[in-house]
Amino acid sequence: MARRWIRIGVPAGIVTIFLALVGLIGGFTDVYLIGDQISFAALMMILPPFVAGLVAAAPRVEGGERLEKRILEAAVAAAIAGAAAGATFALAVVLADWIGDERIRAVFLNVTPQLMEFATFGLATMVGALAVIAVSALAGLLGGVLRVAPASIRRPVTVAVIATLLFGFLQRVIPIALDQLSLERDWLYSSQFHGLTWIGAIVVAAVAAGISFLSTRFGTRLRGSVARIGGSGGPAISPVRLLAGAIALGLLLVAPVLLGSVISEVLGTVMVFALLGIGLNIVVGYAGLLDLGYVFFFALGAYSLALLTGATLNAFGIPPEPAISGSLNFYVAIPIVMVIAAASGLLVGAPVLRLRGDYLALVTLGLGEMVTVLVGSPWLVPLVGGPSGMRGITDAAIGGFGFRDPQRFYYLALAFVGLAAFTSWRLAASRIGRAWTAMREDEQTADAMGISTTRFKLLAFAIGGAIGSLGGALFAVKIGSLTPASFQVIVSIQVLGLVILGGMGSIPGVIVGALVLVGLPGLLREFEEYRFLAYGAAVVAIMVLRPQGLIPNVRRSRELQDEEQAQDEWAKAVEEGETPPDIASATGATT
Amino acid sequence: MVTGTWRTLALDRTEGGYSVGAWRDFIVQGAAQGAIFAMIALGYSLVYGILRMINFAHGEVFMAGAFGSFFFADAYAKSGLLNRNPVIALAIVTAVAIGVSVGTGVLLERLAYRPLRNAPRLVPLITAIGASLFLQNAFRGFFGPQPYGYPKPEVLAGSITVLGVPVQKVQLLVLVVAVICMAVLQWFVSTTTTGRSMRAVAQDREIASLMGINVDRVIVITFAIGGVLAGIAAVLFSLTFEQVQFTMGFRPGIAAFTAAVLGGIGSIGGAALGGFVIGLLQAVGPPLLLTGFGIPSVFSLRDAFVFLVLVLVLVFRPGGLLGTGEAEKV
Repeated sequence: MARRWIRIGVPAGIVTIFLALVGLIGGFTDVYLIGDQISFAALMMILPPFVAGLVAAAPRVEGGERLEKRILEAAVAAAIAGAAAGATFALAVVLADWIGDERIRAVFLNVTPQLMEFATFGLATMVGALAVIAVSALAGLLGGVLRVAPASIRRPVTVAVIATLLFGFLQRVIPIALDQLSLERDWLYSSQFHGLTWIGAIVVAAVAAGISFLSTRFGTRLRGSVARIGGSGGPAISPVRLLAGAIALGLLLVAPVLLGSVISEVLGTVMVFALLGIGLNIVVGYAGLLDLGYVFFFALGAYSLALLTGATLNAFGIPPEPAISGSLNFYVAIPIVMVIAAASGLLVGAPVLRLRGDYLALVTLGLGEMVTVLVGSPWLVPLVGGPSGMRGITDAAIGGFGFRDPQRFYYLALAFVGLAAFTSWRLAASRIGRAWTAMREDEQTADAMGISTTRFKLLAFAIGGAIGSLGGALFAVKIGSLTPASFQVIVSIQVLGLVILGGMGSIPGVIVGALVLVGLPGLLREFEEYRFLAYGAAVVAIMVLRPQGLIPNVRRSRELQDEEQAQDEWAKAVEEGETPPDIASATGATT
Repeated sequence: MVTGTWRTLALDRTEGGYSVGAWRDFIVQGAAQGAIFAMIALGYSLVYGILRMINFAHGEVFMAGAFGSFFFADAYAKSGLLNRNPVIALAIVTAVAIGVSVGTGVLLERLAYRPLRNAPRLVPLITAIGASLFLQNAFRGFFGPQPYGYPKPEVLAGSITVLGVPVQKVQLLVLVVAVICMAVLQWFVSTTTTGRSMRAVAQDREIASLMGINVDRVIVITFAIGGVLAGIAAVLFSLTFEQVQFTMGFRPGIAAFTAAVLGGIGSIGGAALGGFVIGLLQAVGPPLLLTGFGIPSVFSLRDAFVFLVLVLVLVFRPGGLLGTGEAEKV
């Protein structure tokens, strides 16, 4: 028994060691989330044993039966798992102390004296190690108790903890908003430690728990009554979702006014990436074509807008006028840019789209990389400025009202995002959208049904490309100058990451994905170095644990659920010794 | 292209043309680099052959080996062992590189890919991209973003003449080691029991498991073999370029993948051939095809060449040079 729990705890301890080695503990001992006790470093140390406790307390499945643990058993399991995690980490700390941290530091840069002190709570090494084990056991215990608590307690507590941590993280954003609204903020955020005050934390937790409690209590009732009204006429959008959507939209509209220009700057970038995400979502989410070279369209949009609207070269020693130069207005140039992008989407897509999924991904990756190499190469200096890039890009003014200012730019970008989102939403519901879905789910069957897969693939590529180029054009307007450094392969991966995080095929998912993956790192400047680490981890975790994403596309998640149900039925039938029904016939009906 | 070649060859030395010696150097350099690509390419190819999955993070497996070995090489350089007894020092350094690469590869398989064994095809690929990004940045977190200078034993400095061609000693080492490795691999896969089970799993996983082959074990072994080759390649690469950095796996990784596809993915001979072709193309292609057009600093377009080849091969001959050219398998 205990061995199983220890086997859960030890990997968690290794995770803690990993976090320490990449510098997420030692470098953040003075980034406080709550008061001057709960720092980010402390959170990083508590989290792995806590999760170990959660896992250790989970019901055991034996012979297809879920064996729920009783509270006492769960608590012991969780505490042991937590202690094992703590012991693993403590062992590493003792070992590091024995070898000498300065010798380890010659290899692992982050084994700093600060880390060593924090990891032993400033105590003598052995005492500190015991303290780490005790605290970890406690964290594991909490995790375990939370896991077996009834849902009516577990949900509000979880929501409260997450909300409090989120408020703690957003310590640079929320106080500014409060200032702008001239509300009192000192009770909520400590002016000395920047994190939440304890009173503030308690208030936030209480409010969040209350909202969660009420929404489960009355939400189900509300949902039930709506379902009765709606009858069986398909799943209407639930009122909770509608309300959440309306609130989110309202927040998006007032955000720059509330948050001031520094944060609006970040939000502007979020909107550019949301636009890219909506474009890539058509290619990846709707049509199921993995495109790893989306930066191609991003660069194409940015540079062609620059050329069409008369930007100048940044290069040294050659005339500033590019080899091709127009003097169009932004709003005249935009349709041309999109047509160019769509046309090159067709041109590039035509030969490569007959390739199978993973080969297509690599070809597009290659194309994206070629663009990266070309815009930075000395060869194309007379056209796009080479490594030093271009400057003097239009600010998209309407009658002298420019959009370079972060707050104004945000609204320009939001307008385009809205337009793109609407187009993409209507497309998904159209004949074209259904053809894409059919193609994505089963290309051969779609072909047999008379869908011209090549045509629809090309269409997805062209439309996705056009929207991507729009993102590029807006990006050029936003920063006013272009350098090849902005057009690296990481852009493609970032956009793919946000589409996946939000849920492939889901537009609200794309917006949330952009906020989380682009917005959060932009706001949390301290974590800048770690954003891509978190990115990679998030992509892997989503793929392994929740492939449908945070806010899944309704149809897609329904398909996934149906499949699971069918499999459950099948398994049950097998167990009861009946002839199992055909899985294919059970699921086939919905696709 | 033909005109470009013609024009380049017509150029006089004074106009920026190249001497015969320069071309010879390009070819040797390309072959040496190609040998390294070939060894990385085998890692992609073996895994693809068995799992039908592109292990996008293989470039990072290579990078991990290079980093792991760097700290030992650096310590030996400081203690003087590297110059006093280069064979032993390099053997230990290579063993460390292999250990780190194998560890990274096997861990990757266990944590990220195994849970997705039966997922739709694109899911593992996306996971691999995430894993690649994660590994790169984990190493950046461990060791910082700066490049480290990789020490080279004095024995390997300078060049010697082989069959009348001057070859840098490092390049000779690279070529010899690579050829030996590939011969050993070929022998391993074609004659040993494990090699036979690898081929069986590559042909049909389900049937292989019915025949009593432990598929999970075979897959882990495949990742481990890829790791061994990547580790050796990492040491050779580091000795050639005398530098390690957390981003060093990406471009060689793509070049190696291109090589694997070019040769016909899943075949050992194909990966070897593809590696040499890509290496030569990178070294000889830009000056030969582009200089004649008066394009400045042609070597900056080297990577674009690789990608162009990747695109052209996948579009016109997805089966690769040695492949059967079979149509897509669904």
